[in-house]
Amino acid sequence: MNSTHQQRIAARLASRHGAERRFRALGFFSVALSALVLGFLLFTILRNGIPGLDWGFLTASDATDPAKVGIWGALKGSMMTMVVTLALAFPVGVFAAVYLEEFAPKNRWTELIEVSINNLAAVPSIIFGLLGLAVFLALFPNWRSAPLIGGMTLALMTMPVIVISGRNAIKAVPPSIRDAALAIGASPVQTVFHHVLPLALPGILTGTIIGMARALGETAPLLMIGMKAFVATPPEGFTSPSSVLPVQIFLWSDEIDRGFVERTSAAIIVLLAFLLVMNGVAIYLRNRFENRW
Amino acid sequence: MTKPHELDPVTPRLAARDVSVFYGDKRAIDNVSIDIADEYVTAFIGPSGCGKSTFLRSFNRMNDTIAGARVEGSIALDGEDIYKSGMDVVQLRARVGMVFQKPNPFPKTIYENVAYGPRIHGLSSNKAELDEVVERSLQRAGLWDEVKDRLSDSGTALSGGQQQRLCIARAIAVDPEVILMDEPCSALDPIATAKIEELISELRGKYAIVIVTHSMQQAARVSQRTAFFHLGKIVEYGKTSEIFTNPREERTKDYITGRYG
Repeated sequence: MNSTHQQRIAARLASRHGAERRFRALGFFSVALSALVLGFLLFTILRNGIPGLDWGFLTASDATDPAKVGIWGALKGSMMTMVVTLALAFPVGVFAAVYLEEFAPKNRWTELIEVSINNLAAVPSIIFGLLGLAVFLALFPNWRSAPLIGGMTLALMTMPVIVISGRNAIKAVPPSIRDAALAIGASPVQTVFHHVLPLALPGILTGTIIGMARALGETAPLLMIGMKAFVATPPEGFTSPSSVLPVQIFLWSDEIDRGFVERTSAAIIVLLAFLLVMNGVAIYLRNRFENRW
Repeated sequence: MTKPHELDPVTPRLAARDVSVFYGDKRAIDNVSIDIADEYVTAFIGPSGCGKSTFLRSFNRMNDTIAGARVEGSIALDGEDIYKSGMDVVQLRARVGMVFQKPNPFPKTIYENVAYGPRIHGLSSNKAELDEVVERSLQRAGLWDEVKDRLSDSGTALSGGQQQRLCIARAIAVDPEVILMDEPCSALDPIATAKIEELISELRGKYAIVIVTHSMQQAARVSQRTAFFHLGKIVEYGKTSEIFTNPREERTKDYITGRYG
């Protein structure tokens, strides 16, 4: 290397290091901004909500008097709705992903299905609410406001998310593992269930967390199927009328009585805590499967 | 029918007749007929892209898993055409094992890697029997002494050479008749390669072994029969000693002396 080269490199060094510093500053600023927004949100909610968060609030259900309202009815409704959603969307989503990725012939029909599923994941949630209203409630008119119908509606919304993440997770399993299993005489189904799915499970669970978290916070489709009714008792079963957390928050935020401001914030804290617990369980499961080998 | 390349008056374990393999419209193997006997290690050599791996994969129908791949002609295993309709591919692959280019142990324990085959085929009726199969297979693969105290460690934690021997143990655990090896040493260092070659020599006679290799030295060291592939055809098939010292065909000679390949 001659000296002109060295000079040219030296002349550019300052601006190169400058670009480095500017990018880092920009990145730090972006992180700080999002952390700040989150911090502000949490701070406001906690400051407003903590005083309203007591045992009575956690065990009672909706009422007209803000001093007597509680969140238990909506919390139980949300839990039951999520159970229905998970029970429907997870197996259907995973099996659909497995079939499309491992067994379906690659032709125009499967391509069409693939595009449709991707589109389905992007459909606004209110449309799923309309579908729930038009189909599920038309079939089971007595189950208006029930967690079962809510869960079914949200499952429609969650399923495509699980299919997409599931397919990507399955695609990421190295083909050499399939070759190894097939070459030893495993049938295609054995290959999938013994080798491919266990390796894809962490990725599938990540997609499921995202889908379920979205479903938990969903309000619009549930309004459509009548889950905004005033329900003063916790749901007894999957077919009894119920409220859910986000709808309850929405309803209380609309109340004129000042006493509801505190209650709304307290309900948000409960919703966030539920979300954290749900994600925590999913992350625990994911890590457990990742550490299995 | 093209005249099969046959050398020995013994009954062949595998007999390929007029086999052509297509990828879409592209013909990768062109009317190949060959007999492969139990007693020997048979090496397939040839320049890259000559179709030797493709041909090897048609012996256990692994080409079935490739979209657009198609096999014509017949391959008989013990006289039974493996491409006839109604042939059970799962059973075929239990009889014709395979070792791949890159070691591909399951991300499970060493024990599970070897036990998997016998387990899915229901070869052992209890745990003690399965333990015995695992130990015997690992011993035959020359890996037992290195792993006997760590059978519950992950198979992927082993070194590359050990992983490949684990894959060989996994293949022999189901007691196949034929073992296909697709460049089993190409991802390994010379010491690990030497161990695999030694192992191949030890396994000779117990199984019919067909090995695809890029290394002519390796073919010369481990095999007794060599087929030279070029452009999807077998140019020459003969005793390894003769192919390497006194090839009949000009093209074989050119390849062996390093003119191309």
